[in-house]
Amino acid sequence: MTARPMSPPEASALLWARLRPYLRPRPRWRELSLLGLVGLTLWVGSLTLGTTLNVQAATLAAGQPPPSLDGLIAASRPELLAIYLLALLGAHLALVVVGRRTDQILLPTIGLLGGLSLLLMERLPQDLAGRLGGLAQTQLVWLVLGLAAMTAAGVAIRGDAWLRRYKYTWAAVGVGLLLLTFVLGREVNGQRLTLQIGPFSGQPTELLKVILVVFLAGYLSENRPLLVEQSTRVGPFRLPPVPYLVPMVAMWAIALGVVIVQRDLGAALLLFAVFLLLLYVATARWGYVVLGIAAFIAGGGLLYAAFGHVRTRVDIWLDPFSRAQEAGYQVVQALHAFARGGILGSGLGGGLPTIGTSLPGGIPEIHTDFPFAALGEELGLIGVLAVLGLYLVLIERGLRIAASAPDEYRAILAAGLSLVVGVQAFIIAAGNLKLIPLTGITLPFISYGGSSLLANGLIVGVLLALSDRGVGAPPAPRRNTS
Amino acid sequence: MTAAARRRPGRSIGRTLTGLGVALSLAFGAIAAGAGYWQVLRSQDLAASPDDIAVIAASRQVVRGVILDRDGGTLATSKRDANGEPYRVYASRSVSGVIGYASRLYGSAGLERAYDAQISGVVPADPLRGLLRKFQGLPSDPQTVQTTLSLAIQERAVKLLGADTGAVVMLNPQTGAIIALASTPIYDATAISNPATSKATFEALQNDPSQPLLPRATQGLYVPGSVFKIVTAIAALESGAINPDTSYAEQPAAETKGLTISGYTIHDGHHTQTGSRALTFPEAVEVSCNVYFALTALKTGGEALDARAEDLGFGKPLLFPLSTSSSQVTGGGGEFGGGFRDAVELATAGFGQGETFVTPLQMALVAAAVANGGTIMQPRLVDAFVGRDGTTTVNAEVWRRAMSSQTAAEVTAAMIRAVEGELGRQFTSGAQIAGIQVAGKSGTAEIGGGTEPHSWFIGFAPADNPTIAIAVVVEHGGRGGARAAPIAGDLMRMALGL
Repeated sequence: MTARPMSPPEASALLWARLRPYLRPRPRWRELSLLGLVGLTLWVGSLTLGTTLNVQAATLAAGQPPPSLDGLIAASRPELLAIYLLALLGAHLALVVVGRRTDQILLPTIGLLGGLSLLLMERLPQDLAGRLGGLAQTQLVWLVLGLAAMTAAGVAIRGDAWLRRYKYTWAAVGVGLLLLTFVLGREVNGQRLTLQIGPFSGQPTELLKVILVVFLAGYLSENRPLLVEQSTRVGPFRLPPVPYLVPMVAMWAIALGVVIVQRDLGAALLLFAVFLLLLYVATARWGYVVLGIAAFIAGGGLLYAAFGHVRTRVDIWLDPFSRAQEAGYQVVQALHAFARGGILGSGLGGGLPTIGTSLPGGIPEIHTDFPFAALGEELGLIGVLAVLGLYLVLIERGLRIAASAPDEYRAILAAGLSLVVGVQAFIIAAGNLKLIPLTGITLPFISYGGSSLLANGLIVGVLLALSDRGVGAPPAPRRNTS
Repeated sequence: MTAAARRRPGRSIGRTLTGLGVALSLAFGAIAAGAGYWQVLRSQDLAASPDDIAVIAASRQVVRGVILDRDGGTLATSKRDANGEPYRVYASRSVSGVIGYASRLYGSAGLERAYDAQISGVVPADPLRGLLRKFQGLPSDPQTVQTTLSLAIQERAVKLLGADTGAVVMLNPQTGAIIALASTPIYDATAISNPATSKATFEALQNDPSQPLLPRATQGLYVPGSVFKIVTAIAALESGAINPDTSYAEQPAAETKGLTISGYTIHDGHHTQTGSRALTFPEAVEVSCNVYFALTALKTGGEALDARAEDLGFGKPLLFPLSTSSSQVTGGGGEFGGGFRDAVELATAGFGQGETFVTPLQMALVAAAVANGGTIMQPRLVDAFVGRDGTTTVNAEVWRRAMSSQTAAEVTAAMIRAVEGELGRQFTSGAQIAGIQVAGKSGTAEIGGGTEPHSWFIGFAPADNPTIAIAVVVEHGGRGGARAAPIAGDLMRMALGL
C-alpha cells in the first residue's frame, strides 16, 4: 500500500468501480403495486384512527357527541406514517437498484404488519414505554431499523459459506448468549429476558432463534444423508440415530433450562418447536416430532410440579375466569377485548385498551404481549383473520423459497427462518386466545420492541437473499465429521 | 433395516415442506377458530358481563335505566350527587334481596348486577340498531327494565315475615314470571349507592351477624323438613316404586314404637288420629307421615331419588339471572346409591332431614312443577328491556319437563288434601283461601341444637288452574302450619286479587 492518501474524487471513483457490478437496476412492479396498496390501506387506517380520536375528544369536551364530522376528519400523526411509508419506499428502491431477482411479496407483507403496529402504538397510551418521546416514535425508529436490517441482508448477502461453514461457531455463540443471559440477565416482570450491556439492552432470545436455525440447517443437512441407514435400539424401542438423538436431548435440556432460569415459557416453546419441525423437514418422520412433544410434555409435567410460575401459567390457562381479579386478570381482559370486538370490531381507536391509564382495568403489557387482542377488539374478527392471513403469506413465501432452493442446506435454512416467524406468531396469538397457556413472547412485526423487530427484519432479509434465483450454485458441502 | 429407513433417502425435502405447510395452515386455522369462538359465539356473553371493563366504565358514568315493577311502579331510579355524578335511589327496602344495589364504590349485586350491561346501556336493546349506533358514534343506550315483580306483594311479604329472618318466593307457574322474591332482613340499598353514606353503610352491613346482604331466597340453604316429601313423592311415583294406593303393613305399628332402620329409630308422633290404619299415599301426605316417606324413600332407592331431584333442578345452581346456590338431596360421596351414605341417611332424606339442603327458590320451582302439570317454566325476573333504539322482550319459555302429567295430578290431589282435608287442615288451615282450592305442604325442619325448627310451606292456587306457586320459609319460625302457611295464604289471597 502506498502511504499517499487518496483524494476524495479518487476514492469515490474507486468505490463506484467496486460497486458498479452490483448495481443493475431492475424494476419490481409487483412489489411496488402491492406497496401502493399497503400505503393506501395504512392511510385509510390512519384517517379512521385520527377521526375516531377527534370525535372522542370532542365528545369529552362537549359532554355529548358532535353533531357532524365537519373538521374532525384528520389522519392520526401523518408525519409518522409518512416516515414509515418513505422507509418502505426506500427499501423497495434499494432492492430495485441492486436488481436481484428476489421475492416481491415479502416486503409488502411485513410492510402492512409493521404499519398496523405503528397505528396500534399511536393509539395506545404513549407513556407505556419508549425513551424516544413516546411509544409510537420509538416503535417507528425500530420499524425503520428493522426494515434497514432486512434491506441490508437482502442486498448484501450473496453467499452462504460463512453461515454453513461455521455452524459450531454459531452454536457456541448461541449457547454463550444464552449463558450470558442466564448470568447477567435483568429480571423484568419475573422473567429474566433482558440483557443489558452499558446503555444497550435487548432480548437475546430474539437473536438466539436465528442462530438456532442457522446451526440446525448446517447440522441437519450435513448429517441427513449419512444417518439415514442408522438407528439405535434400546430394548424394544427404536430410537432416532444418535446424531439426531444428541441434539434432541440437548435442545430439550436447553428449552427446559430457558423455562427454569429465564422463566420464559414462550422462548422455550418456540426454540423447541422450531427444532422439532426442522427435524421433520430433514427426516420426513412425524414420529420424531411426536417423540419430542412427548419428551417436552413430560418435562413440562416435571416443571409444573416443581415450579410455581409454571403452575400458575397452566392453572390460569385452564380456568382464568375463576381468578379473574388476580392471576387470571390479564388473560380474562384479553378475552373480553376479543369479545367486545365481535365480527367487525370497534374500529381503530374505538376500543378500550387505553382504559388502563384512567381507570383500574385494561390489559397489562398490551403493547408487547397482547397487541393481537387489541387488534381483535378494534379490527374485529375480520381484522384478526386478515392478520393471520398475512402471517400465512409469509410462511408460504418462506416455504416456497425453501422448496425451490438449490440444495438441502438452503432449503432447511429458509424453512427454518419462516418457521421461526410463523411459530412465534402462532404461540402468542394462540396464547392471547387461550388456546394454549399464555407466554410472554412478541407478535412478530406488531409487538412493541426493538430486539424483536430487528431480528425479524433480519430473518426476512435472509429469506429475500435466499430467494435470489440469479445466485450461483452453492459451494460443495464440506464433509466434516466432528 | 426397516422399510421406513429404506424409504427415507428418496424423500425429497419438497414433500416434507408441503407437510409442514399443511401443519402450519391447520395451526393458524385453529387460531382463526379460536378467534371465532371468542368474537362471535362468546361475544355477547362476555361483552355484556358485569366484569367487562366497558360495562364497568359505562356504569360509572351513565345514568342507569329505570327499574319498574310489573304494574309500572318505580323500583329503582337515579339522582345526582353534589358532583353531578348519578347514583341509585330505590323505591323500597323490601326489594333489596332481589334488585340488589349498584354502587360506584362497591360494585353491584342482584338484578342490578345481572343486567348491568342492559341497565347501563352497553348492550343495545335491538342488536341491529345497535350495529348502526356503532357507526353513528352515539353513546350508550341505558334501558328501562320492566320486571315481573309486584312491589305491593313484595312489600306485604316482607311485612309478614316481620322481624324474622326468612324468604318468600312467589311465581306464576304457567309463565315462570317471579312475582315476589323476598329475603329478610332487608337493607337500605340507596344508602349503599349514595356516595355520602356508601362506606359506612356497606361496612356495617358486612359486619352484621344477621347477614342482610345474603339473598336468602336464592342463596340460602335450608333443611326442608316435610316440604321435601313432595320431592320424594314425585321420585317414587315417577319411578313406579309406589302408586297412590300403596301402603305399608309395618307403618301403623311404627307410629308408636318407631321405625328402626339399621339400628336407628325414626319416630313419628304427628297423627294419633289414624290409629292402626295403614295409610295410602294421599293420606300420608295429608298427615305428613314420616314413616311412610322413610319407607317410600327406601323403596324408591337413592339413585332414583337423586336423579328425579336433579330433574327438578337439584344438584346445580339454577339457570336464573341471579346467582343461586345448588340444592342437594344428599351430601354425596356415599356408596349406598345416588351418593347416600347408608339406609338411615336415605330414609331420613325421604322426609327432608338427613343431609338434604334446599334454597327457597328451588322449593318454589318444585311447587310450580307440580302446579304446571310437570313442566317447569324458565324462572325469570324481566318482561322486557325498553331502550331508545327499541325493545327486547323476554318470553315465557319451557325450562324442562320434570314429571309426567299423571304424577303431577296425583301429587296435586294429595297436596289439596294436605290443605283442605279433614286432618290436613289441622296443620295448615292458615294456607286456605275462602272459595278457592289451595294445594300445599307444610314443613317443620328440625335443625337440632335446641333451637326452634324452621317453618316451611310450599303450595299453589287455584288448584285446578294454578296461577300462583309459592314457597315460604321462616327461620326458627316453629311449626310449618303455624308460621309459614298463614303467610302463604295471605300472599296468595292478595295475588289472586281476593
